[in-house]
Amino acid sequence: MANVAVELEDLRKVFDFSVPTGFLRREHREVLAVDSISLKVLEGQSVAFIGPNGAGKSTTIKMLTGILHPSGGRATVLGKIPWLERGKLAFEIGAVFGQRSQLWLHLPPNDTFELLARIYNIPKLEFKKRRDELVERFKLEAFLETPVRKLSLGQRMRAEVAASLLHHPKVLFLDEPTIGLDVIARQELRDLVREWNVSQGLTVFLTSHDAGDIEHVSKRVIVINHGQIVLDDKVSAMRRAYIGSKILEVKFGTPPLSLEMRGVKILKRTEYALKLEVDTRIAPIESVMNAVLQLAPVADISIEDPPLEEVIAHIYGQEKVVA
Amino acid sequence: MISRFQNYASLAASYFRLNLSAMLEYRAAFWSQVLAMFFNNVIWVLFWSIFFSRFKIVNGWTANDVLTVWAVGSAGIGLSGAFFGNAGQLPRLITQGQLDVWMLYPRSLLSHFVLGRSSASASGDVLFGYIAFFALVQPNLERSLLFVLFTVSIMILFTAFRIMAGSFAFFLGSASNLATALEFALISLSTYPSALFEGAAKFITFTLLPAAFIGALPVEAIRDINLEKTVLVLFGTLVFAALSVIVFYAGLKRYESGNLLEMRS
Amino acid sequence: MIEVRKYSFLGLTAIRSSFAYLGEQLFGLVFLGVILFIFLQLWRATFAGAGAVKLGDLSLAQMIWYLAIAEGVVMSRPRISSEVDQDLRSGSLSVQLLRPLEYPLAKLASSFGERLVLFGLIAGTGCLLAFIFVGTIPFSLEGLGLFLLVLPVALLLDTIGFLMVGLSAFWFEDTTGLTLIYSRMTMILGGMLVPLELFPDFARPIVEWLPFSSVVYVPARLFVHPSFELFGGVIVRQGLSLLILSLIVFFVYRAGLKRIHSNGG
Repeated sequence: MANVAVELEDLRKVFDFSVPTGFLRREHREVLAVDSISLKVLEGQSVAFIGPNGAGKSTTIKMLTGILHPSGGRATVLGKIPWLERGKLAFEIGAVFGQRSQLWLHLPPNDTFELLARIYNIPKLEFKKRRDELVERFKLEAFLETPVRKLSLGQRMRAEVAASLLHHPKVLFLDEPTIGLDVIARQELRDLVREWNVSQGLTVFLTSHDAGDIEHVSKRVIVINHGQIVLDDKVSAMRRAYIGSKILEVKFGTPPLSLEMRGVKILKRTEYALKLEVDTRIAPIESVMNAVLQLAPVADISIEDPPLEEVIAHIYGQEKVVA
Repeated sequence: MISRFQNYASLAASYFRLNLSAMLEYRAAFWSQVLAMFFNNVIWVLFWSIFFSRFKIVNGWTANDVLTVWAVGSAGIGLSGAFFGNAGQLPRLITQGQLDVWMLYPRSLLSHFVLGRSSASASGDVLFGYIAFFALVQPNLERSLLFVLFTVSIMILFTAFRIMAGSFAFFLGSASNLATALEFALISLSTYPSALFEGAAKFITFTLLPAAFIGALPVEAIRDINLEKTVLVLFGTLVFAALSVIVFYAGLKRYESGNLLEMRS
Repeated sequence: MIEVRKYSFLGLTAIRSSFAYLGEQLFGLVFLGVILFIFLQLWRATFAGAGAVKLGDLSLAQMIWYLAIAEGVVMSRPRISSEVDQDLRSGSLSVQLLRPLEYPLAKLASSFGERLVLFGLIAGTGCLLAFIFVGTIPFSLEGLGLFLLVLPVALLLDTIGFLMVGLSAFWFEDTTGLTLIYSRMTMILGGMLVPLELFPDFARPIVEWLPFSSVVYVPARLFVHPSFELFGGVIVRQGLSLLILSLIVFFVYRAGLKRIHSNGG
C-alpha cells in the first residue's frame, strides 16, 4: 500500500488587493483563485494537472512548493506542510518551471550540476555517481561541457530535468516542460519522465496544455477550471466519459456506398476511404461496424479515441459544476 | 555553528567561481569594466586629495585620509558587489516574481539569493581599494588588520543596506530607482569628513544612511588605531544587518501572500 | 527642412512618451537633495577655512546655485549610450535599413527631448533646494538670456558624446566601462564638483580647453555670474565642437555600418 505523496484538503486561495480605478481612487478586489480543492496523490503516481490560463493550476503548484501561503484549507507534501517547512521539503522535491531555467546560461550544464551539489549538500562521491547516471540516462554526454546558451531547446530541457533530479527528490513538479519543443524532443522528454516515474517510483506532478504530454506521461489527469477541480480520473476514463465517441477510419477495396446513420458523422470522404466520428451513446460501435462492412469490401479498419485536445476543450467549455 | 559557517563559505566560494567563470566568457567586457572602475576610483581620489590639500577645513582630512576612505570604502563596497551582487537586484527580483525560484532551494532565502550574481566593476573596486591602501598608505600591521576588518564589515553593511532599500519593493511596488538613489546617496555621504555634518545630519549618517560606518569611523579608527571606534563600527554593522533580516522577512510575508501584484498566472 | 520637422516631431513624441521613465527618475531627486546638502556643508566649511567671502569670484550662495545647475546637467544624462549599444548588439533591423545618419539623428532627437525635460525637473528642484539652503542670488535678464542660449547646445553636445560612446559598440564587446569613464570625465573635468577657476594652476588651461567645460561649467557659471566674455568664447567653442562632433559621428557610424555589412554583425 503506497504512501500519500501529496494531499490537499479544501485548499483555498483568495487574492486580496487594491487596484487603481481612477486618478486617486483605489478599488478593493478579491479574486478566488483556488476554491477549496481536495485531492490525494500516492507515491509513484504520475498526475497531469491541466486547465486553461487563470484556472488556478499555477497557484496550486506555488502553494504545494511552499512559495505561496493559502487562505484556507490544508495541504501536505510528503507529510510536510509546504509553506511552513519549505526548507526541509526542498530536499525532497524538485521543480522544473517553464519560464525560468536553473541552468546558468553562459556556462556548461556540468557547472550548474556542481553548484547544485553544493546547494543541496550532496557528498562528492554520491554526486558523481548520481550525475553520471543522469548523464547516461538523459544522454547529455555530447553537450555536458557546452555553454547552455549554445544548446537547442530540447537539449536544454533534458539538462534542466536532469538538474532537478540531481538531489534524488521523491516528487517532481513540472510546469509546462514541453513548450516550444519539436516533436522528437518532446517525445524524448516525455519518455524520460515516464521512465523515471516507472523505474524509480518518482511521483510526477505535471502541468501542461499539450494533450500528448498527458497521454504519454500520466495515467491520471486532474482538470481544474475557475479554481475548482472539474475532473479527477484516469486518462482513459476521461476520454471515454466526456466524449462518448470514437474515430473510425476505413479503407475500402472499391468505392463504398454512402452511409447515413444516427450518431455517425462523416469527417472525411475520399474515393476509397471514410473517416467517421461515432457518438457511441447513440450508435453502439458494433452496429456502426456492421453497417460499414456492408458498404464495400473493407481493406483496413481502425478504431481510435478522439484526440485529447478535443476532450479537454469540451471539458473547459462546461459550466462550473457546483459540488 | 562553525561548520554551518564553513558550509556557507564554501557555497559562497562556489558561486563566486561560477559567477567569475560566466563573466570571463566575455573577457574583454570583464576587463574593461574592472579597469574602468579602477581608473574611475583613481580619478576621484586624485581630485579630492588635491581639493583637501588646497582647501583646509577645520577637522578636515589630509590626503592620506582621503586615500584611506576611498580605499576602504571601495574595497568594502566592492566585496559586497563581488560576492553578494544579487542584493542590488532585489527590487527587480520581487516585481518580476523571480524570488520564487530561489525559494525552492533548501537554503535560507536571504543568504542564498544574494550569492547569485557578481559584478565585474565591483572587482575593480576591490582591486583598487587594496592596492591603493597597501601601496600608497603603507600601513603598519595594526592598521593593515583594521583595514581588512573594515572591508569585511563594510561589505556586510552595504549588502544589508541594499537589502533594506530593495525591500521597499515588497511594500511599494516598483522601487528600483529609489533603492539606487539611496545607494548613491549613501556612497556619496561616506566619502566626506565627519566634521561636515552636525546635529540632525550627523544623526542620519549613523542611522538612515549609515555613512559614518563606511567612511568617517573606519578612517578615524585606522588613522588613530582607535579600539572604541572599531567596536562602534562593528556594533553598528551588526545592528543594521539584523534590521535588514527583519525587514526582508517581513516583506517576504507579503510576497508569499501573493497579494503583491495582480495575479501572476 | 522636412527632415528638421521629422526629427523635431520625433523629439516631441519622445517627450510625451517618456513620462513614465521620467516618473521613475524622480527618485533621483532624493539623491539630489543629499548631494546638494553635502555640497552646502562642504563649501561652508571650505569658505570658513579659507576665511573668504568669495572664492573664484563666487560667493557661497552663488556656489550652491552653480552646483545645482551643474548637477542638473550631469544628472540628466541620457540612456542613449546603452540604448544604442543594445540596438547595435541585437542587430536591430532599424539600424541596418535606414540610410546613414537617419538612425543616429532619430536617436538624438528622442534622447534630447527627454533630456530637456529631465534637466528642467532636476535643475528646477536643485534651484528650489538652493533657495532653501542659501536664499537667492542676484539675477539679471541678460544673464538668464545668455544661459538659455548656451544651455541647449551644451546638453546637445553632451548627448552626442554619449551617442558616440554607444556607437563604440560596433567595435567593443562592452560599452559600460567607456560610459562610466566618459561620464566621470564630464563630472570632474567639467566642473561639477568645483568651478574651473579653482582648479590648480597647472590644470586650469587644460580643463578650460577640454569640451567638458562647455557642457557643465559654462552654463552653470553663466547662470550665477554671467559675463559676455565667457559667453562669446563659449559660443565659438560650442559651434566648433558641434561641427567636429557631428562629422565624427557621421564617419564613425558609416564605418560601423560597413563593419556590420562585411562581418554580418
